[in-house]
Amino acid sequence: MIRFMARKAPSVLFVLLASSVVAFALPRLAPGDVAVSLAGTDPSAANVAAIRKELGLDRSPVVQYWDWISGLLHGDLGQSYRLHRSVTSLIGDRLGSTVELAVFATLLVLVMGTALGVLAGSTKRRWTRATLDLGNSLLVATPAFLTALALILIFGVYHRWLPVSGEVSLLENPSIGIQYLILPAFALALSPSGIVARLLQTEMTKVRNEDYVDLALAKGTSSRQITLRHVLRNSFGTAVVAIGLEIGTLLAGAVITESIFNRNGLGQLAVSSVQSRDFTVLQVLILGVVFVAVICQIVTEMVLATLDPRIRLGAQT
Amino acid sequence: MTDVPLTAPGAAATATRRRLNPTLSRYLSAFRTPRGVIGLSILGIMVLAALLAPVLFPGGYDQQGSNALTGPSAQHIFGVDEFGRDIFIRSVYGLRVDLSLILTAVPLSMAVGTLIGLAGAISEWLGAGLQRVLDVVIGFPGLILGICLVAILGPGWFPLFLTILIGGLPTAGRLARGAWLTQQGREYVLAARVLGVPPRKLLVRHVLPNAMDAIVVNGAVWMVIGVYIEAGLSIVGLGVQPPTPSIGVLLNNGLRFVTQAPTYIIGPGVVLLLLSVGFSLISDALNEAVNRR
Repeated sequence: MIRFMARKAPSVLFVLLASSVVAFALPRLAPGDVAVSLAGTDPSAANVAAIRKELGLDRSPVVQYWDWISGLLHGDLGQSYRLHRSVTSLIGDRLGSTVELAVFATLLVLVMGTALGVLAGSTKRRWTRATLDLGNSLLVATPAFLTALALILIFGVYHRWLPVSGEVSLLENPSIGIQYLILPAFALALSPSGIVARLLQTEMTKVRNEDYVDLALAKGTSSRQITLRHVLRNSFGTAVVAIGLEIGTLLAGAVITESIFNRNGLGQLAVSSVQSRDFTVLQVLILGVVFVAVICQIVTEMVLATLDPRIRLGAQT
Repeated sequence: MTDVPLTAPGAAATATRRRLNPTLSRYLSAFRTPRGVIGLSILGIMVLAALLAPVLFPGGYDQQGSNALTGPSAQHIFGVDEFGRDIFIRSVYGLRVDLSLILTAVPLSMAVGTLIGLAGAISEWLGAGLQRVLDVVIGFPGLILGICLVAILGPGWFPLFLTILIGGLPTAGRLARGAWLTQQGREYVLAARVLGVPPRKLLVRHVLPNAMDAIVVNGAVWMVIGVYIEAGLSIVGLGVQPPTPSIGVLLNNGLRFVTQAPTYIIGPGVVLLLLSVGFSLISDALNEAVNRR
């Protein structure tokens, strides 16, 4: 395992390094001078120069990058020029909302994906399977925002069952908070659970043809036992991997879902900082998403490698 | 792959005509399957409507009526928006934005991605290096990439175009590089090289056909994703800017009035679904046609 990780480390570090350079370069690629726009009503040369010096923009890019990245590593995420607050506090205020949504949605993916996958992978009735396949394809094909719109129309407008806008923290008031969480979490989770279900189903059908399943059948094991003990257990790795790979997509989808449901989370912060061109906030957020996605990918690959020695030892691509 | 027909001279004429472009005819056969036909007709109607929009609705997408936010009626089948503009007309004009994005960005993306993937033929070092760059692109989910580009360029058509273009590069690049890596060592490629076939011809004749099918199918799949990228970014207000309508912009506006006029988002939503269903059907049909042999 250590050897596997050592082999993976360079490419992971490279991706992280490169994305940090991309994030760093963002404001510098944008047209216009940050210092000039911050000077606002007093764009005199002296004022602009003073702002530039204060922000450290007068030094070489390499020095600036080094300062920025070592600040990040020490936990100093910088200062928002627009909102005059530290990025740490801005993110801290909204982290909870996004974590609630992401965790709840991931749980939903786990539960619904597995349930649908097992159902579709173990039914022998042709029509049940066809129906499940069709439903699955619909789930996979519908992106989070479209699901969100449909859910809003059905459960928020035509039937006024659930709130469609705003949020209440789960920690403050669990019973109300969950009502605000249900629709966005489902909107986010439906499509990934379709993907997970489909992979699990394929894997289960494959495992079902293995000799040890035949043996179990010959021994007189009940079909329920076979599904749970033999088939599902040996296909579950696939589901775990699929969920791991979907988390990056889930986070990106959260940006839109939060915006649609007016939740004041990190995604909403990202959108508003793009609109107000608040780059210090945006840089950290983008790096954060890439970081989380990469971590999920590594963890997934590690799980895969533990399950399958061929990957652990296998040839490089 | 390239089956040289050992036919009698008499049959040569028909054989050459048939062999004129076997790859192309295989792709075209996709459009004779039910899925292909349905997908193509959905998209055909949409492209036609989008192209003819100025002729069909010479009033443009900004013509205001006396009512606002009313539901579907005989004159306005999708209803009218907050300024009394016909949502159906705006959807048709919106299709122009969506289709112009996807039908330019995706083919370009696949072509550039393929070239990047084949760069290994120039120098192994360059090929591997470019592949690492593509790995970084994969690290950015489509929407995050879009957010970065909008942050740099400001919202509009061009950042959407770039997002779809750049987002599609890694898969095409990997497919092309995969073909290059596997075919490079094969005897027939070596033989061709020994015979003095120039590298460019080698790539086009021997390497590319191995990746072409996968890249074409992938391109069709990426068109669906392109539709979603446009709509997703526009829904949060980072896409094309109003008053220009795109499907995503219409959904964004409709969402704001969802309690007063719930039918507002249904029309544009259906158009979006039809668009993505059309592209999906075509990608399925292509996939089937490619794997049939």
